[in-house]
Amino acid sequence: MFQQTKTRGVVFLAIFSGLILYSLSGGYFAREIVIEIAILAILAISLDVVAGFGRMVSLCHGAIMGISAYTFGVLTVKFGLPAIPSAGAALAAAAVFGTLVGWVTGRTSGIFFIMATLAFGQMAYTLIFRSRWLGGDDGLGGLPRFDLSWLGIDMGASISFTLFALALAALVYLAAAWVMRSAFGRTLAGIHENEARMNALGVNTVLHRTRAMGFSALLAGIAGIIAAQHTQYISPELLFWTVSGEVLIVVILGGLGTLIGPLVGAVVFVGLKHQISALTDYWHIVIGFILIAIVVAGGRGLYGEAERWLKTIYKARLNA
Amino acid sequence: MDSGFLATQFLNALQYSMLLFLLSIGLTVIFGLLHFINLAHGALYMMGAYIGVSVAGATGSYWAAFVLAPLGVTAIGALLYFTLIERLRHAGPMNQVLVTFGLIFVFLDLARMGWGDIALGLEMPAALAGATQLIGLSYPAYRLFIIAVGLVVMAVLWAVLARTQIGAMIRAGVENDAMAAALGINVARLFFAVFCVGCALAGLAGVIAAPVFSATTEMGISILIPTLIVVVIGGLGSLEGAIAGSLIVGFIETIGAVVFPGIAAISSYALLAAILILRPRGLIPARG
Repeated sequence: MFQQTKTRGVVFLAIFSGLILYSLSGGYFAREIVIEIAILAILAISLDVVAGFGRMVSLCHGAIMGISAYTFGVLTVKFGLPAIPSAGAALAAAAVFGTLVGWVTGRTSGIFFIMATLAFGQMAYTLIFRSRWLGGDDGLGGLPRFDLSWLGIDMGASISFTLFALALAALVYLAAAWVMRSAFGRTLAGIHENEARMNALGVNTVLHRTRAMGFSALLAGIAGIIAAQHTQYISPELLFWTVSGEVLIVVILGGLGTLIGPLVGAVVFVGLKHQISALTDYWHIVIGFILIAIVVAGGRGLYGEAERWLKTIYKARLNA
Repeated sequence: MDSGFLATQFLNALQYSMLLFLLSIGLTVIFGLLHFINLAHGALYMMGAYIGVSVAGATGSYWAAFVLAPLGVTAIGALLYFTLIERLRHAGPMNQVLVTFGLIFVFLDLARMGWGDIALGLEMPAALAGATQLIGLSYPAYRLFIIAVGLVVMAVLWAVLARTQIGAMIRAGVENDAMAAALGINVARLFFAVFCVGCALAGLAGVIAAPVFSATTEMGISILIPTLIVVVIGGLGSLEGAIAGSLIVGFIETIGAVVFPGIAAISSYALLAAILILRPRGLIPARG
């Protein structure tokens, strides 16, 4: 069950103030890194909602992000609609897709759920990849950013877009934390612990899992909007299953079922990626070994390990 | 579309099905017996191709590669078994998916370090290099060889599983491993042996695919998804399921790409989704 502890609050504030300071003091490259962290953090938090609290290890979150990004791209570029309503429609499309996947896979679990989400994600990827109208392999360019000039904000400037992405990431964390603390979140945690028992208690577990997928997809859709507006270009690569696999790595790296862990994971993952890529071409082998080490060590992730360590210190003090 | 063209496509589909079979049978039996999902199975296929290229380069003989690549991949598999797989057997599907996803990354970079990022060809044996006349149809002899290898492996596995004591032990293990152990079967040793055979077949698939498709660093990832589809469609742990699944996916993807290019690309995913929802145990499940 999710609890917004003091430690988590402190970590949340520390990460966001750190990222804000870094994007204010650093140059263009620093801001690019922060945006990358924000997108990955949103996706990882949204995956944690289903994987960490509902035992639904989805391999279609990349596809959900891509569906949102493509809906936004089609409505703005192909139909010339304004950006803000298009983004609303994009979020709705992501949530509908997530709900549908959640509904039809509602009775599957374990490896079957993983495979089913993989199948739906890859179907979306293939359809977009094959569609000439959507630009196929070449993708779609010329996407607009939000026009916030009426607020005096120039979204074309890298600093304002970076802070906008960070604000959305913070909002996603708070929304996820709020929902996971609600009655719905607690029921979901119950399903995570023991689905048969929750069924016996009269809980419609399929309905709850479907709703969780819909909510999670809505959050993942936000990542799609930022990704589409960031480079103002989208390609089918966003939807490929290895993107979802990478997001799962981020969740595990930080700590599954903690919500704050995925945030930590995104910072560490992107940071490591840029540090290691500067040293060697072989970044994948490093992250591969880190992932294996974390799972073999018990799968608690960086934040989970830290929390456990703090708890032992606390207990030791109580006993002293 | 004349009949010769269709016959050629039929043989292409059969050849692809056989490659899928060699990969999926290992994956499915490992799952059925060990309850272990090995996403790195595709990476082992890639290693088979690369080891084959190196062995053929060193010895000048395709047949040396044909024998040594599966053995090399088996050695890699054995190492994985004792370092990771044995301890993750009861760790749940998510941990298995994660660790073997990590292994995909590790093998990807190992292959890039060892062999570089370019596609490497493997010379096919001279005896199989040309085309064969087959009922009035000219078809590459090497591709017929792939089909033959697949059929031979299929027959041998069927005979072993259905007709020998080891096969009976494996079937007992798939059915109920605790009961099999209680009846005096050394389940741990059986698991290890089956895992090694699965790895050897992945290596074999890699080395026989290399002359046609070349050895590339992406080959492991791109074959993984169709293989997983075969395993789930057929039914986890079942030989007949792997045969049926390989033929279905091989034919849908090959013939479909020619006849219905528009929908072929998603049809195997759609089939997978339909099977998972309507018949989650697969077409021919291993357990009754």
